[in-house]
Amino acid sequence: MALKALDIYKLLPKKNCKECGEPTCLTFAMKLASGKVKPEDCPYLDEKAREILGASTRPPVQRVKVGVGERSFAIGEEIVQFRHEKTFFHEPGIMTAVSDRMDADTIQAIVADVRDHLLVRIGLDLRLNGIAIRSESGAPAAFAAAVEAVEAVADLPEVLLAEDPAVQEAGLAVCGNYRPLIHAATRDQYREMCALAVKYGCPLAIRAPTLDALADLSGLCTAAGAGHLVLDLTSPSLHETLNSAVAVRQHAITRTTPALGYPVFIDTRPSGLPDAALICGVLKFGSILVTDAISDESRKAFLVLRQNIYTDPQKPIQITPGIYRVGSPGPDAPVLLTVNFSLTYFTLQGYLEASGVDSFMLIVDTEGLSVLTSVAAGKLSETLVRDALKEFGVPDLVDHRKLIIPGYAAPLSGKIEDETGWKVLVGPRDAADIAEFLEKEWP
Amino acid sequence: MTLSTLSDWTGEVGTVTIGALKADGGTRSTTVTIGGERDLSFIGSPPTGHRPLIAFELCDDPSLWPAPVTKFLGDRASDPAEWARWAGQEYAPDLIRLFLTSTRRRGFSDFASVTTTVENVLQATGLPLIIEGSNDPELDSEVFRRIGEAGEGERLLIGTAEAARYRSIAASAMAYGHLVIAQSPIDINLAKQLNILLREIGLPHDRIVIDPYTGALGYGFEYSYSVMERIRYAALKGDEDLAMPMISSAIDSLTVKEVREADPSGIEKISVAWELYAMLPATIAGASIVCVRHPSTILPLRAGIDAFWPAPSGGGGA
Repeated sequence: MALKALDIYKLLPKKNCKECGEPTCLTFAMKLASGKVKPEDCPYLDEKAREILGASTRPPVQRVKVGVGERSFAIGEEIVQFRHEKTFFHEPGIMTAVSDRMDADTIQAIVADVRDHLLVRIGLDLRLNGIAIRSESGAPAAFAAAVEAVEAVADLPEVLLAEDPAVQEAGLAVCGNYRPLIHAATRDQYREMCALAVKYGCPLAIRAPTLDALADLSGLCTAAGAGHLVLDLTSPSLHETLNSAVAVRQHAITRTTPALGYPVFIDTRPSGLPDAALICGVLKFGSILVTDAISDESRKAFLVLRQNIYTDPQKPIQITPGIYRVGSPGPDAPVLLTVNFSLTYFTLQGYLEASGVDSFMLIVDTEGLSVLTSVAAGKLSETLVRDALKEFGVPDLVDHRKLIIPGYAAPLSGKIEDETGWKVLVGPRDAADIAEFLEKEWP
Repeated sequence: MTLSTLSDWTGEVGTVTIGALKADGGTRSTTVTIGGERDLSFIGSPPTGHRPLIAFELCDDPSLWPAPVTKFLGDRASDPAEWARWAGQEYAPDLIRLFLTSTRRRGFSDFASVTTTVENVLQATGLPLIIEGSNDPELDSEVFRRIGEAGEGERLLIGTAEAARYRSIAASAMAYGHLVIAQSPIDINLAKQLNILLREIGLPHDRIVIDPYTGALGYGFEYSYSVMERIRYAALKGDEDLAMPMISSAIDSLTVKEVREADPSGIEKISVAWELYAMLPATIAGASIVCVRHPSTILPLRAGIDAFWPAPSGGGGA
């Protein structure tokens, strides 16, 4: 079981030497407990303590890195089953599949699309992660040619899907230095696959018919020197995949079966339902999701779902406070006050755009709290509003002195009027009613 | 050794049956039962509870309905009875959810239309019905009385009760034998509180369906996803005041920017994607009824649910 911070602290030298980069040994202990630092970071740890801490602070789901360079990504290091218990840390990488039966032009068009596709949302870049190359011809030369075609276009992280060790090696001969994920070792050929993983220093996916067999195979592979494993839980039945993914996560985080303490791989193809398989993978613990090319619409929805699920529930996404324009507002345009919780901002912005009324949004810093919460917690106050009006130069932008505040901020309306000298109009509680409100109340 | 999930749940989600057959005083051609989970809803072979169901949403005032749907429907959108009949026949949802949006217009006073609309829709489809009435305390009493009366014996699921206005809805449900949707704003404690309030005025737990409120994909969906997981978690841990099945409807899905600003040629596909990528995850979080407005979403959503819950499921199936 994982040690608590205080148990760890007892094993530390308690010198507060700061050489690990933390201000005190206690801070170091707290970070060690949550897996944010390693025991080796402490230069004065004795051998025994290092042993105890090494075994109990290893992340229950091992970290695995795929690819090299700018687009490489890490998976694993997860510690909870439900995101509300803390957060999920590493988003799954989505790997678009190509086949060695495709011609080079087709492959390169897909690779270029994965390389260039970018969706910017709430100020964050959402991207596809890499390419999976399927051996379908069975020929080593064709596989190597497909890998070369991919490599010619982009240095994206790769998955090499070839269970014949000879075919796999032909692919590794082309890209083995770029940390592709080798897929997959099975009971029959794990020795050869492990040797390849060791030779090229690559992570290795493993596949077995049951979870028991998978745990056994995991032990065999680590004994053979392949330490960076990924568990393939693909099944034609998504019900099976969901059930085994939950079982693997439970066994891993409780350290019941350390042999299952590795990230999970899911190929969406055998289910025949790429959307449902992607949803299954992003919600229930997939870390590498291989999919054949999907529609633009599915891709967009997938990227947003992944962003939603992997947002830290304890750190709401915030918008930089300031004045934001909807349309091309002039000096007579309404000014609407709201908070810097991103969801509030985007919801109001969406309804304002839909209303067709050019307007200013005055976003004040409530540390990412919603309107209701920030009013209750005293984060949204008349002085904050007064200072924001001044700081963002609102009096110079409009020739009126009227401020529309959110319905839930109504208790502050009098105080805001007194503090700012602006006339306050109390808007609706629900942003959905803003169009109707403006039509009725704004001249 | 056989490795499987490690669960130590002690609680169980209650079951709720919606709709009544002729023999039970109604006129529905089918009824549906939801709930009954003793583990996460998709766990086990077969899973412990009833499978999630799909409700198709429609309304009696299409000017307040998302454009991608009304354009797709054409003239059908002007008649809720025809809308319900057609959708039931062509797309086979499990339930129809009728929003009496006309009651949400300013100055609404045509109460007789509530009775007529509910009666017409009941005649047009044999599916179990969910009816959403007014959301104005001034109108609630009369609107819900009429809904209850028009559907007497049909075991309707009516909504939406909130902490500030639940009495008229609960009164109608108790007087005419219906069920109630209890909605709280993405907050497990408020959800529990409302269920207690409803119990205290005499509405038993097996007549409540929890609506935890669902934000659209990219617009707060993660909060709803987690609050559903927490409510289900609490129920499985034994909290009986949260052990009711849940309904999820991301009602803003088709008015978000991604859909509004889509190229007309892609509007159907993005509408389907935005509903599918919220409602299929909602089933995994624990929702027993998921709702859509675009008819084209029903087929892929059904395929996803069938893949997650291979038929026939345990607990008697749907």
